[in-house]
Amino acid sequence: MQFTLVIYGAPHASEGAATALRFARAVLASGHEIYRVFFYGDGIHNGSALAAPPQDEQDLLAQWQQLQQAHNLDLTLCIAAAQRRGVLSESEAKRLEKPAVNIAAGFTLAGLGQLAEAAALSDRVVTFGG
Amino acid sequence: MPRKSILAICRHAPYGNALAREGLEAILACAAMDQVPAVLLINDGVFLLLEQDAQQIGEKNLRRNLAALPMFGVETLHLCERSLRERGIDPAQLSLPGTELKLLQNPGAFIAGFDQVLSF
Repeated sequence: MQFTLVIYGAPHASEGAATALRFARAVLASGHEIYRVFFYGDGIHNGSALAAPPQDEQDLLAQWQQLQQAHNLDLTLCIAAAQRRGVLSESEAKRLEKPAVNIAAGFTLAGLGQLAEAAALSDRVVTFGG
Repeated sequence: MPRKSILAICRHAPYGNALAREGLEAILACAAMDQVPAVLLINDGVFLLLEQDAQQIGEKNLRRNLAALPMFGVETLHLCERSLRERGIDPAQLSLPGTELKLLQNPGAFIAGFDQVLSF
């Protein structure tokens, strides 16, 4: 079965972000596929490369990146939501004349159409946080 | 793209949580992609329909986003009757140009009828 996960929870603010990661692992371990993980709202912060949690706290970003590499996951940040929250790619930072680039490796920026497309093409859409 | 029946649920009051605005933006995006969702306002989401002067708090008026929905093919808003009652909102005081407002007594059964649910 094809799953799409929609994540509104920011890491270190909402348990939804960590629950989504564990759910993603469980989906893959059960032999299902993940069509897309779509980060929206405050979930955008999951894709910031600049978060530096204390060493004795879980580092969700590193775990997402591991999962992404192992399963070639599509980790998409909504571009409009990301601009509002300051998660920018190199081209966006240049275009918007901002001083830094902070989108984490393994994540891509794309429009809200990717959410509509994922809803149409997935068997299940599961929402976390918010 | 296969056409699935999609329901978008708005659960948050305007201006209190970014999901209120971003949910409406997502609904417009889906509709623009030819995946016109049904829309249900439930819990604090029913506050989206009230007239409010958002300028007083430096916000853009979200009712304008709601009012744009019919242009994208969303011509009906479903409202949870119980959510309205619990918040002391009289359905008779609600209206939105170009939009039919439908009261639901059993939102659970309504939600169960859709292929996908996008919850905002």
